[in-house]
Amino acid sequence: MSAPAREPWREPPIGLLAELTHRCPLACPYCSNPLELTRRERELPTASWERVLEEAAELGVLQLHLSGGEPTLRSDLEAIVARARALELYSNLITAGVGVSERRLEALAEAGLDHVQLSVQDVDAEGCDRIGGFEGSLARKLAFAKAVRRLGLPLTLNAVVHRHNLDRLERFVELALELGADRLEVAHVQYYGWALANRAALMPTRSQLDRSVAVVKAARERLGDRLLIDFVVPDYYATHPKPCASGWGRAVIVVAPDGRVLPCHAAHVIPGLVFPNVEEKPLRWIWQESPAFQRFRGFDWMQEPCRSCARREIDFGGCRCQAMQLLGDPEATDPACTLSPEHARIMALAEAEAAAPPPAFRYRRLEPVPA
Amino acid sequence: MSFAPEDRLVVARGVRLRFDPVRNCNVLLAPERVLFPCPTSVEILGRLAEPRAFRELVEGLAAEFDAPSEEIARDVEDLLADLLAQRIVRVERRPL
Repeated sequence: MSAPAREPWREPPIGLLAELTHRCPLACPYCSNPLELTRRERELPTASWERVLEEAAELGVLQLHLSGGEPTLRSDLEAIVARARALELYSNLITAGVGVSERRLEALAEAGLDHVQLSVQDVDAEGCDRIGGFEGSLARKLAFAKAVRRLGLPLTLNAVVHRHNLDRLERFVELALELGADRLEVAHVQYYGWALANRAALMPTRSQLDRSVAVVKAARERLGDRLLIDFVVPDYYATHPKPCASGWGRAVIVVAPDGRVLPCHAAHVIPGLVFPNVEEKPLRWIWQESPAFQRFRGFDWMQEPCRSCARREIDFGGCRCQAMQLLGDPEATDPACTLSPEHARIMALAEAEAAAPPPAFRYRRLEPVPA
Repeated sequence: MSFAPEDRLVVARGVRLRFDPVRNCNVLLAPERVLFPCPTSVEILGRLAEPRAFRELVEGLAAEFDAPSEEIARDVEDLLADLLAQRIVRVERRPL
């Protein structure tokens, strides 16, 4: 690949996704982390994260998403939140909420945390335990949600949905209301990393999908501004692909636990890209000039039908990681798009998997289970 | 959408308005959202950092911009309805 030299990218990023750690008490089979997880010894130290936040703020980042793994497993999370607040970054804690005491949460609120996003794997205790691979998880999550509200922090409930919990979608809506959540995120599984390895175990049928669309529509009409509901459809069944991360290197920077910087948390699946590390390069250079971030900016890399497509500035050809994972070509049109010559084949695959009995989960673990 | 004079309005929790020196404009930060508010929204949101009655908001704007209250009320109502629908602003229906 001989990409021509390019002008540095001048648009600033909006958000920084800080994957503080890959450690997590849960083992969800659709985890967005890579199959090869980073161990604790290789995690960035506090001072490096603080410097990254400073560089991010100077670059124009406005929102900081504190994620993982489970970010509360970092004992320096308060310091990181406080640094974000001092830099006027909007901080969002993305947590499983199973091991966080009210006192800890209070310390995070005092440090200036702006918002909490809590994952709930299922509204049914048994289902929640089975999907997250953690016993007694739902009761802990509910107690955590109540503590969030007692402290006056805004709360988003994050419901990742798939064939095992979709039939209880109405209950997710009710739970969000009962807990006094401000937002509910209903996100169909996106099939990367662990989720791709578990696709046959998770893929919903077309009728399950259609029903979820109807449930969300009815809830939005009924609840109005009482609850904001965001909805992410599974793109195998979509008409057009999603503009992944709002386009490659256009809105989001991901910093992995070991300091590597990626345009998307799945970008490591694309061969030939070297992801610079914050311990070695300034964030500004990484964002504006590094070959990995420049790789799929603009439209020159596109193939047909993307290159001449009227939607190329809307969805940027869809997701590069998905094109790589499903077609072995990161420049191909995302097969989630109906204009892709591979769309019918991929959709038939998803429908066949959804129609068959679900295989057992391959749980997300730090130690890979031998196949 | 119309507001009663004593409806108390306030910026919703989790919403932060700030100036961004990199983009040289005001930004509205909310859960999973970044908005770039128009100057009128900035003026309104600045006044709703603490709960304030709709009547009081309108009167304040009328005084500031030297315009009739009825005109201001009409102008801000649509904008407020939009901010409400997006949960940027919330309304306390009963006066305190």
